[in-house]
Amino acid sequence: MNSVSVNKTPTITLDGNNIECAQGKSVLENIESAGVEMAYNCREGFCGVCRTKLVSGQVEYTLDPLAFIDDDEILSCCTKPITDIEVKVIY
Amino acid sequence: MKYTTFNQKTIDTMTEPMFFGNPVNVARYDQQKHPIFEKLIEKQISFFWRPEEVDVSKDRVDFGKLTHAEKHIFTSNLKYQTLLDSVQGRSPNIAFLPIISLPELETWVETWSFFETIHSRSYTHILRNLFSDPSEVFDDIVVNDEIKRRATDISKYYDDLIFATQLYQTQGEGKHIVDGEEHEITQRTLKKQLFLCMNSVNALEAIRFYVSFACTFAFAERELMEGNSKIIRLIARDENIHLTSTQHILNLWSKGKDDPEMAEIAKECTDEAREIFLTAVQQEKEWAKYLFKDGSMLGLNEEILCDYVEYIANQRMSAIGLKTEFESKSNPLPWMNNYLSSDNVQVAPQEVEVSSYLVSQIDAEVSENEFDDFDL
Repeated sequence: MNSVSVNKTPTITLDGNNIECAQGKSVLENIESAGVEMAYNCREGFCGVCRTKLVSGQVEYTLDPLAFIDDDEILSCCTKPITDIEVKVIY
Repeated sequence: MKYTTFNQKTIDTMTEPMFFGNPVNVARYDQQKHPIFEKLIEKQISFFWRPEEVDVSKDRVDFGKLTHAEKHIFTSNLKYQTLLDSVQGRSPNIAFLPIISLPELETWVETWSFFETIHSRSYTHILRNLFSDPSEVFDDIVVNDEIKRRATDISKYYDDLIFATQLYQTQGEGKHIVDGEEHEITQRTLKKQLFLCMNSVNALEAIRFYVSFACTFAFAERELMEGNSKIIRLIARDENIHLTSTQHILNLWSKGKDDPEMAEIAKECTDEAREIFLTAVQQEKEWAKYLFKDGSMLGLNEEILCDYVEYIANQRMSAIGLKTEFESKSNPLPWMNNYLSSDNVQVAPQEVEVSSYLVSQIDAEVSENEFDDFDL
């Protein structure tokens, strides 16, 4: 299923749409590049506004997140997908 | 239990709850029950700034050109911000420090409050520049009915908690009569007051501040009052961290990761917590009405501001596990993000107008012929 692949950049699935990820971009930046509006404020992991449900797949953090996140959530501003992921907007 | 500034009992802070455990003794951070608070301290300190760094002198000219309605919006907004930070500059210290049991949380609260005092000082910096005598503006804060109404609700929960804590720490649990009024004090009732107070503080940091930020940045969107906006941008970044801290505290309680009794109380008082939040939302909408009573300004009116209140209320309610209340919609003020994003807050001394940095330090005058004799 969601295997780590070095040859292929991961895909983000959001509301049934697949977004091809660009190298080095955060989950938030990738979704924005696809023209989807996402809630955010600080873009630095401390405000928590970009909190997103991670339905499946894995991400890695580019910095230590300070905002509160539940077990099945990620901060899209400071994570990069390391496998194909499916995310769901919370609000 | 009497408060002591240095508890001589050996305590293991790793087993203490955040509040109402043993009073703290050694301010040590080598072991931490909730390491998030030290991370917040570090982040907050890395944001250190001084109001005087920001040149607000151009704002006086802008202010003179504002319409009567815009002047009302700007000044009222600043008065409200002054009120909020007056409360926040002292209250977390007075209300929370006497009942905190973890060194990292104690230091976080002190750091948090200290930054609120920077904010308070910056309002004086702004107002001194705008008015030859700013005292009229400051004096109105305590007599203006619209502001007073908000002040009552903001300070009420703090005041109740502080009073009950004083009784508890001087007289213990039981029924106490003060000024002819009976007060029943138990640790459980105190914890409930603490929970409600934390929710009220959360609503303040989550909703009330952001309404005022929207007004400030609406002026900046029209390239007006930009010095003021630079300061409020720094304040907004700090407030974002403060908001994160109260969200952490509320979640640690409700998810049973701290004091089990607080988890029970969080469950028991969900409706009250929700009510506190929704009251703040309602009051902010009323405030929007008052702000725009003499007329709107370009880019912002009562309706848009109220929509924004609902938009952020959903985010903030969800962040503390409350069911969202309002219909979800896209951000009615998308430009707000340009001011709230960390990337756009520039604090390096050479990048802002830092007077102390410039004085006798570097030559800020660079003319075109400076590099004439420069060859590669």
